[in-house]
Amino acid sequence: MAASETWRLRPGQTLQYRQWDGECILYNDLSGDTHLLGDGAVELLLTLRRGPATRAALAAVLQAEFDLEPAELDLETDTLLHDLQHLNLIDTLAC
Amino acid sequence: MLTVASLSRRQLETRLAGPGLLVQTGAFVSRIRSPIRHVADGIALLYGDYPIHGEDGFADFHVGLQHPDGLRRWYQPQVNFDLDGQLPFEPLPEAHAFPMLEWGLNWCVSTRAHAYLMIHAAVVERGGLAAILPAPPGSGKSTLCAALVNRGWRLLSDELALFRPEDGLLVPVPRPVSLKNRSIDVIRGYVADAVLSRPVSNTTKGTVAHLKAPADSVARAHETARPAWIVFPKYEAGTTTSLTPIPRARAFFRVADNAFNYSHMGARGFATLAGAIEGCASYDFRYSNLDEAMAAFAALEAPR
Repeated sequence: MAASETWRLRPGQTLQYRQWDGECILYNDLSGDTHLLGDGAVELLLTLRRGPATRAALAAVLQAEFDLEPAELDLETDTLLHDLQHLNLIDTLAC
Repeated sequence: MLTVASLSRRQLETRLAGPGLLVQTGAFVSRIRSPIRHVADGIALLYGDYPIHGEDGFADFHVGLQHPDGLRRWYQPQVNFDLDGQLPFEPLPEAHAFPMLEWGLNWCVSTRAHAYLMIHAAVVERGGLAAILPAPPGSGKSTLCAALVNRGWRLLSDELALFRPEDGLLVPVPRPVSLKNRSIDVIRGYVADAVLSRPVSNTTKGTVAHLKAPADSVARAHETARPAWIVFPKYEAGTTTSLTPIPRARAFFRVADNAFNYSHMGARGFATLAGAIEGCASYDFRYSNLDEAMAAFAALEAPR
């Protein structure tokens, strides 16, 4: 994924969630499913709730929160963005 | 208000065979019509404490237990359960009529009362705080529930936890407790004055009998309760009694798995269940000895 690619919360998602004991459950307004999410995914979603952000900015959020090695950070960022997109929670903004 | 017990046996049978008996069970009124003796027997034995309404009153559910037309009326007679004239189930042997009424009434609530978040669970209350016992058949849920409500806990329901989304409180729907197979004799031995319907064998659930709900639970059917504990019971012969905490997120999904209408309720269901989980302590509970189980429940502390 390109560092300049811009991500946003999917319109219609209100991010109803609860965080307990390091685990998060989240209601998906578009699919009606309930997801069990880890801390990294929650950080990205909460960041995107404030407004669209580039991949680079999102990676920086993860880096600040979890202090990852560069290679690990790249992999983690791409995996999380892919998974959240697959769940229809986020998508990319058209240029 | 009049109760079923205020009717003579003849009056009861006349209502059942005619305009219907309007019985209030918690938040719901059911109009029951049936000419079948087993139905009148079960109602006379187990529903004496329940309020009744006049034949022109409002009913949420209009149900009937009738013989099918045709020769089966005379040869190995059967019974149909109908709701508003529709037949949702295959007919059963006539001797199964009373259990069929109980199962049918549960079905009416669980498929229609979508104003509530409904979980397949027993609910008992003490001091305003409720313990919710979600569990699949065979877990010992009903046996535990029957024992608890005869040791100081109030019965809200043996089958249906009804969460009110507006305030998260549990709405009672106290009806007879369904016991199966070995648990019938277990409860006969554990509850000295147990009032049980005649056991009916060879049902789809084995041999079943219903235990009369305590009169106090029926009288307090309008009193809601605050959810405080979610306890997943599991009877295991010979096991030591144990109560193991469950992380909230895991408890959430396990309760949702036992819900009748969690998906149907959408975001409202999520908010209701999340609120309940947040206010409750959740446990796995293993038991084999009812006295030890009662002691474990008595020692439950109100969650902070």
